[in-house]
Amino acid sequence: MTKAILFILLGMLASCGSTPPRLPQAMEQAQVADKEARRALRSGDLLRAQHDFAKTLQLQQSFDDLAGAATTIINLATVAHQLHDDEGALIWLDKVLLENAEIYPEESRLAANFRKAVITANLGRLPEAEASLAEAIKMCDKKCSLHFGIDGLQARLLLLKGDSQGAITLALTVSKEAEAGQDEQANALRTVATAEEKLSRYAEALQHYKSTLEIDKVLSLGIRIAEDLSGMARVSKQLGRDQEAIAYSRRAKLANESLRQNNIP
Amino acid sequence: MTLLADKDERFKNLFGKAALFVLLAAIGIGATLLWTGIKKGAFTAKSPIYFVADSGQGLSEGMPVKYSGFKIGKLNTLTLDEHGQVQVEVGVESKYLKLLREDAVISLTKEGVIGDGVLELSRGTEAKAVLAAGGVVRFERANGLEQAVIEVKNRILPILDDLHQTLHDPQSDVRQTLKNLREFSVEMRGTRERLDHVLGNMDANLNNEMGPLLRSLRVSATNAETLSAKLDHDLPPLLKRADDSMENLRITSQAVKDAVQKTVPQMPGMLGEARETMGKTREVLGDSQEMMDSLSTHWPFKNNVPVSDNTPIKMDSHD
Repeated sequence: MTKAILFILLGMLASCGSTPPRLPQAMEQAQVADKEARRALRSGDLLRAQHDFAKTLQLQQSFDDLAGAATTIINLATVAHQLHDDEGALIWLDKVLLENAEIYPEESRLAANFRKAVITANLGRLPEAEASLAEAIKMCDKKCSLHFGIDGLQARLLLLKGDSQGAITLALTVSKEAEAGQDEQANALRTVATAEEKLSRYAEALQHYKSTLEIDKVLSLGIRIAEDLSGMARVSKQLGRDQEAIAYSRRAKLANESLRQNNIP
Repeated sequence: MTLLADKDERFKNLFGKAALFVLLAAIGIGATLLWTGIKKGAFTAKSPIYFVADSGQGLSEGMPVKYSGFKIGKLNTLTLDEHGQVQVEVGVESKYLKLLREDAVISLTKEGVIGDGVLELSRGTEAKAVLAAGGVVRFERANGLEQAVIEVKNRILPILDDLHQTLHDPQSDVRQTLKNLREFSVEMRGTRERLDHVLGNMDANLNNEMGPLLRSLRVSATNAETLSAKLDHDLPPLLKRADDSMENLRITSQAVKDAVQKTVPQMPGMLGEARETMGKTREVLGDSQEMMDSLSTHWPFKNNVPVSDNTPIKMDSHD
């Protein structure tokens, strides 16, 4: 009996150890290039990431992997954006969005629309941002994973258009949703704080900036920490807390200098 | 009775001798006349042919008629008919008549540009019948110098009229151009005056500024001369030192070369070993990679290996 059990166990172990079937060479190369690109991106080597993603795209297109190619195009756009080449990023995104044959999956087109809206909003091209966001909303229909990001961006656009109260209402909703994720919650809170600052509600704004800073510190998002600290310095000054304002301002300056010296995106 | 005694022998048969002389003279004159007549063609058989001309201008009796440059006849008569046209008869030597055809043409031309008028016969079409004596040929006037002059005149006069009109029209291009040229020349005169003024100023400036500049150049040249003398003095010791340094360098380079020559024979072996080691290392790394890839897909390691991410890299609403 013991022998039989041992035999069965050995058999199971052997089956666990059997090599899974290998992927075709091009597919394997594409996966390796994609992994290398993501690794380079994590280590901050944006140019290497760009090169590897471009190689991935070529391989994916060679074996007609449309979903993979769409993802890689979006990745190339994101890398271009991180390299401060926003026009280049928009060109990449348009490759997905302006494809007449609509060969790319809707999920990819949704992501591309959302990212285009973010980039054009950053560039101050609000009509374009609104158009892209409207497309994204149409595709998302409150169920997609980008739902909270879309709401956060919508709140930001309201703020940029001068509707501070509307921005606060929408952003507060997002900030309370745990499913939104810490980064979108922090973004929403920052939008709330900025809107309150515009409405001269400085005490509330300071409170929201502080909440945002706490989350951004957890996420170690340097540039946003500097942004939060700058906001805190401004509202503190408005509240007459000059010493605090100077301290926040100094901290923001140190964070910014460090980011610049270490070339952190 | 005789008045004089005919006693001189030389007067004997005087009448006979005179008669012989007169006879010989008459024969000589006759022969000359005959020869001249033959030469002039008086005894050659001639056939008349006719033509009608619009005017008798340029035509005259006795005018030669030529064929291919040879005289073959002459104009005999010119008469004005009741229609005001000129009826002309030419006599052509009968032996040449066979050269002419019924549609032969007779042309009034000039010998040379300003020579005498000549009637030139052309042969006509070969297929036509031979021209018979008394036949009529067509007449035409060849374009002579007068005709050419008339044609030139007819062409030149309108041009001259146009030119005259153009030159006298105040709105014509020529008049406008001349007017512009006149204005331009006036402006040029002003420009030249200004240019003279500028050149005068330039001359004055050059005189004022070139003098100090030349003096400065002279001083610089003197300084350069001094510097050159100094270099002449200082350079030889420096060159000597440089020579010494080069010699030291040469000795060092020789030492390095010797060392390399001693090492070179051992290099291929070392390189071969290094290459072999690298190849083995690459193989080991490849094997390890494959092993790791294989292990990463199996329990229990697969739970700790991040799943291949096919989603786009993260970008939030505030990026």
